[in-house]
Amino acid sequence: MKTPVRVAGTLVLLALFGTALYYALRSNEQTRAIAQEQAAIAQAQPLRGAVSVDVEPFFTDERVQKILARNRLPVQPVRVGSRDMAAKVGAADQPAFFMASGVVAANMVVDAARKAGRNATQSTPFHTPLVVASWEPVARILVANGIARPLSPKVYGLDMDKLTRVMLAKQRWRDLKASDAYAVSRSVLVSTTDIRRSNSAAMYLALTSSAINGDVVADRTQAQRLAAQLAELFKRQGFQENYVNGAFDDYLAIGMGKTPLAFVYEAQMLAQGLKGGLRPEMVLLYPQPTIVNKQVFVALDDRSRQLAALLSTDKELQQIALELGFRTGDAAAFAAVAQKAGLAVEPNVSQVIDPPGFDLMFEMIDIVSREMNQ
Amino acid sequence: MTTRRLLLALGLAALLAACGRPEPPSPAPAGRAAGPEPLRVLATSDLRDLEPLAAQIEAATGVPVKFRFGGTMESTQAVLEGRAEADAAWFANAKYLLSDAAGQSRVKLQEKIMLSPIAVGVSESDAARFGWDKPGTRLTWADLARHARDGRLQYALANPATSNQGFMSLLGVVAAAGGKGEALGAADVDRGAIADFLKGYRIVGDNSTYLAEQFTKQQGTRANAFINYESWLLSLNASGRLREKLHLIYPHEGVSTADYPLMLLNDARRADYLKVVEYLKGDAAQLWLARQTLRRPIKPELARQVEDLLPARGMQVELPFSPDRQLADGLIDAYLNEFRRPIASTFVLDTSGSMQGQRRGQLVEALHYVAGADASLTGRIARLTNREKLWFMTFSSNVSPPVLFEVPTGTRPAKGVLPQADTEAKQAALRRVRDAADALHMEGGTALFDAVYEGLTHMLAERKRNPGYQYSVVAFTDGKNTAGRRLDEFRVAYEQLPEDVRGIPVFMVLFGDASEAELKSLVELTGGRLFDARKTPLYQVFRDIRAFQ
Repeated sequence: MKTPVRVAGTLVLLALFGTALYYALRSNEQTRAIAQEQAAIAQAQPLRGAVSVDVEPFFTDERVQKILARNRLPVQPVRVGSRDMAAKVGAADQPAFFMASGVVAANMVVDAARKAGRNATQSTPFHTPLVVASWEPVARILVANGIARPLSPKVYGLDMDKLTRVMLAKQRWRDLKASDAYAVSRSVLVSTTDIRRSNSAAMYLALTSSAINGDVVADRTQAQRLAAQLAELFKRQGFQENYVNGAFDDYLAIGMGKTPLAFVYEAQMLAQGLKGGLRPEMVLLYPQPTIVNKQVFVALDDRSRQLAALLSTDKELQQIALELGFRTGDAAAFAAVAQKAGLAVEPNVSQVIDPPGFDLMFEMIDIVSREMNQ
Repeated sequence: MTTRRLLLALGLAALLAACGRPEPPSPAPAGRAAGPEPLRVLATSDLRDLEPLAAQIEAATGVPVKFRFGGTMESTQAVLEGRAEADAAWFANAKYLLSDAAGQSRVKLQEKIMLSPIAVGVSESDAARFGWDKPGTRLTWADLARHARDGRLQYALANPATSNQGFMSLLGVVAAAGGKGEALGAADVDRGAIADFLKGYRIVGDNSTYLAEQFTKQQGTRANAFINYESWLLSLNASGRLREKLHLIYPHEGVSTADYPLMLLNDARRADYLKVVEYLKGDAAQLWLARQTLRRPIKPELARQVEDLLPARGMQVELPFSPDRQLADGLIDAYLNEFRRPIASTFVLDTSGSMQGQRRGQLVEALHYVAGADASLTGRIARLTNREKLWFMTFSSNVSPPVLFEVPTGTRPAKGVLPQADTEAKQAALRRVRDAADALHMEGGTALFDAVYEGLTHMLAERKRNPGYQYSVVAFTDGKNTAGRRLDEFRVAYEQLPEDVRGIPVFMVLFGDASEAELKSLVELTGGRLFDARKTPLYQVFRDIRAFQ
């Protein structure tokens, strides 16, 4: 009686061990497969990218990093001023790709790559229009003086021609009609970043020059004359922050008393709104026409080209870009984000011009920079 | 509310207690040796109240942080010349540094961390008397300058040649008087307005800690206003240490807001820097800064959470900062050599036998420095300025009669300000000082307290003849008092001097084996400061002393 019981007991035990062993081995195999996959992902060489300050938060976003790692295209982003990027082509620490703010800087990179015998490919996954961030009382003064007109609640169209003329005439705020809400002795001026370093200020030069020229500047003599004339719009601002967020930081943190008008990317305001950091009296003025700034991806090798394709097609990545305030091809998705941010925007920016060609633009920037260094 | 006040009061008390500068780097705590290298941060001295943050940063980010403090101008100079010996710099305002290509190339990244506008804190009773406490009152720097000229506004302010608060206040006066709608140039400076404004400048110092201490003592007697960052004024108000609270005025179209950029200098520490920035701009640190130091959060979304602590700013129109170096340099130059109350001081020089050798060498070198030709930001502060009077009073067992050196008045441009080269007459005066230093002969005992007493009575007599100078005594000694009065006898004699002797501080420069405790009580008695030349090069000591003169 004892023996069969013992045998049965032994058999049961063996069966249990066997099953456990079977499952243990099987799970080991799976683990190994996952580990191999992970090792492959971990071994994927990170792509070194020189990125503009505008898209740096995109590449450092954890979700983006996960998606890119999953696609074996991990990225190691380094923030570089857009206009300093071309100098990195052919340097010892040359990145695999660039993501420059604006076509002007991107063309510079492509030009440098061509000279270095490198094959460069451009693509434009995200874009954002240039706008003037302002304040409701200031916008009303501009409307009263025929410089702006209301488009929809808290959204205004800005007449760059009139504004530029008021600024060049050195009019002060208190000289404008109905300016009680901002009757200060300071001149009417738009705060920009430092044109010697930053793309958005260059776009401001492109817009103001085209405004008083009546059309995009296409002639070299014109370009030289206009740049010399418009240099004062930069010089008279006084001290300018040498990084892209300087004027915008002041607009947000210090307010109307320091920065009545700030030339920024629409994306900056949207991103701020999504963080809950907008004040109710903040409004957007859309220059008519304006320039749409493109975030241009310049790939120098095959893996970077794969990354470029992913950025333009992956829905999740595009959604994250939208959350950073950029526009993608999807107008409805953008409108949803703007609503979430609590920011009134102009959904269809239809009056758009291109900046002057690369050579003219640089010559104009040079002229203004020289003036400023004096 | 009560707890917060108490915390603020304690914080301020700690600040007032920790006022020695510059600080020798404290040795790393034992056991840290194996840990990561600390991130060295050179911070302006008005940020001294942030020291407790170092531990919090390390706890949150794992990055150990070591603060070192210095005046705005000397720190700016150090960064410009690439000898900051720091991985990051944290200034109240970096506009002067960044308005120059050399400065920009030193700064790899920058992030503004918090805000505090410069305000004019006026004793509440006087503010009410002038009608400045009525809501909606719009005062400009020009109004303040007029009140200073008429003797109604007497203020404490950090030295315009060494500090951001002082410099920006002068710029505010210049802008208000110029009435220009945009950035100023050197030629726009209205010299009369500056002279008016400086008539009210009563309490001079080079850092907020010292000034807060002096203002607390002299509120209602020598001064009725304190010009400083809002955060310091609000903290003082909350401390309960003032005789009466200050009413804060933000000059109309003349507010300068410190935005405290944290700047990366050493690119190798970029990763750690970014971690620290992320922490500092995070909610926890921002709210700590707002609650404990009364600085405004950089993020508008957080500002709402501390609205009860920080008065609503309303619309404060900022003073445009001019990137014109000629203006900045010319203004500082003109302040020192032309506008400021000229300095008259007696250098009480220990020429006892124990000074022979290396100590004599150091002293002579320092005197050469003061009478030298260093035109850097810091050098021009230490140098003898136009109109300055200086007496050498040497002593050993006995005290010698004072020997006068006087720097002549310089030339001035027809309009505005411009940095000036030394005239031949000035060069000759400086040469005489250097020659006298070379001729110092060391022999005999140390009648220290007799000499200081003689120095003081000499300055008292001079002040009676020429009240328009800023008087002080600077004593240099390496040894214990061995002859003449003892400290207690000095104290008795000092008490018998006329009350207004208190306006003449005695600065003591200690080296060798002097008795520190005795010298400390002497400077406390006279409202001066003690500088330890054993830890700090003598030339730096001179530079510091002059920032207090």
